[in-house]
Amino acid sequence: MAEEFLVVKDLHKSFNEFKAVNGVSFSINKGEIFGLLGPNGAGKTTTIRMLSTVLQSDSGDITIGGHSVRNEAEAVRNIIGVCPQDLALYEDLSALDNMVFFGRMAGMGGKEAHEQAMTNLKLMGLVERAKGKVAKFSGGMKRRINLAIALMGHPQLLFLDEPTVGIDPQSRNNIYENILGLQKKGMTILYTTHYMEEADRLCQRVAIMDGGQIISMDTPYHLKSQIGSPEKVTLEDVFLKLTGRSLRD
Amino acid sequence: MKRALFITLNEVRLYLQDKADLAFGLLLPIITFALMYGAFGGQTMFKATAPVVNEDRDAYSAQLIEQLDKVEGIKVELLTASEADTKLEKSDLLLVLFIPSNFTETLVSGDKAELVFKQRGNGGQEGQILASIIRGVIENMNQEFLVRNQMRSNLEGKGIPENSIEVTVKEYLDKERQQPAVGVAEEVTGGSPDFINQYLPGIITMYVLFSLTLSARAIVEERRRGTLERLLTTRLNAWELFIGKFLSSVARGFVQTFILLVLSYAVFRIFTPLSFLASLVISLIFAAAAAALGMIIASVARSEDGATWIGVVFTMFMVMLGGTFFQVSEGTILATIGKVSLNTYANEAFRTIIAKGGSLGDTLQPLAVLAGVAVVGLIISRLIFRAVPGGK
Repeated sequence: MAEEFLVVKDLHKSFNEFKAVNGVSFSINKGEIFGLLGPNGAGKTTTIRMLSTVLQSDSGDITIGGHSVRNEAEAVRNIIGVCPQDLALYEDLSALDNMVFFGRMAGMGGKEAHEQAMTNLKLMGLVERAKGKVAKFSGGMKRRINLAIALMGHPQLLFLDEPTVGIDPQSRNNIYENILGLQKKGMTILYTTHYMEEADRLCQRVAIMDGGQIISMDTPYHLKSQIGSPEKVTLEDVFLKLTGRSLRD
Repeated sequence: MKRALFITLNEVRLYLQDKADLAFGLLLPIITFALMYGAFGGQTMFKATAPVVNEDRDAYSAQLIEQLDKVEGIKVELLTASEADTKLEKSDLLLVLFIPSNFTETLVSGDKAELVFKQRGNGGQEGQILASIIRGVIENMNQEFLVRNQMRSNLEGKGIPENSIEVTVKEYLDKERQQPAVGVAEEVTGGSPDFINQYLPGIITMYVLFSLTLSARAIVEERRRGTLERLLTTRLNAWELFIGKFLSSVARGFVQTFILLVLSYAVFRIFTPLSFLASLVISLIFAAAAAALGMIIASVARSEDGATWIGVVFTMFMVMLGGTFFQVSEGTILATIGKVSLNTYANEAFRTIIAKGGSLGDTLQPLAVLAGVAVVGLIISRLIFRAVPGGK
């Protein structure tokens, strides 16, 4: 039986009267890429914020690598890496300086942070631009730096919140390859995206959220087979069938 | 704590990258100092033009004008009566000396003559000083008249020519002026002009307070960039983040003050080495208090504009109430309200050192207040800080 690395039980979070997350439960196995899908406002980012210790849940339990997020937040932060939905970079600094700084924040020594920064930059195809100011990078390059920073400190669990938004196919492909490469090395990944083909390609299992709840969770194949032939229907068809076609805020 | 220092270093690095911020932070104190030097450097003597309407145009009015013109720093400007009236009407002048047409004639006849100060309101500060100087000149003339009349009355009927009496009176008065019964000696205790002593503390405290606005923006900028949330998913805890930001704000305020103090030390020579060190200590503690207030604003503000405005309002409020550019008299309502301003304590401490020649020991009370604000401000800001609504 696969080892559960992340376990979420009956998670709740409200902002005033609005229930952003309403009884979410799921688990992610070690080395698995797990997709968290849903329309805007479904509660994905709020869930990730709770998992990454930024936000405290109103109730429910989260365990990551055997550590309780509520009681052992520091231990949890030692083993996670977060690639936020919006770029979170110091644009006035170089790519290398950004990475070394976040490496130091992740507890690395100066030399170690520098070495890993160079390795990650190579991985992202940006080693030539290591000393270039991030402000002068293209959108795709910034996205890759955003991901590379999340890898500083050798995390065991990576939260990727829509890491491929607004970038060209080349950069997106580079990110896919890197994610699959990280999985091969044993990293556990929680992935959110609005691109269904991306989730179909990368994730072993996906959970579809809407209205703060998980409305369906399975492998992409099984989800597709619920509404037709898995070879003919797409994950987007499943998504639209489950969440409806009405526009969201 | 190590991570807090990385935050500080990163902040300094970002500060150095932002040329506009750097110019504001480092060049502005130097420019301010240059302006101060241009305005006050080496010029401590009162200088003014004395507007005079001479309707007499005779011997004694000419003598009065000549004596006035001899006073150091005073230049007499002769006006017609209508010119003077027009200028007074327009407030171009606040005080004019009118010498009436019968001035000499009245004095010669032995009667009492009268000069007139025409002024708007109280004549303004410069007018009051001028009036005081003119009164001094008139006092001298009165003394001469007194001596001359006394001499004449003593020698009347003794056949001594008028010329000889005049020469004797002149010799007597010259001797009296050279060796007055009551003299005034000037003791120079330092090369420091009063203006600098008065205004330097205000300029220093104002610059430190600028850093309040900048530190108020620091966390909001971090939030806008998205790096705040990212930082809080690393091993960095919120306290380390706060200490790091706080230290960078203190450093920024302190560096600006340091520039001003070093330039003042070198150019105006208003410090001894000990008083210079004492001023640095005060700057450091004041910068800490201002930074802590900035951190409270940073914790409350949701946007950079919001942080800037709150910071600017705080700064103006404290500069106005804290006696930065004018001394607030003890016991007034303004002095009571001014107790809430950090500047009150910083100015008090700086003036004790710079203007009164006191030691650091004499500033313990205001320094204790500033240090208290720094500690309490930092704790309050941490308690109300949330990285995201409902978050840590």
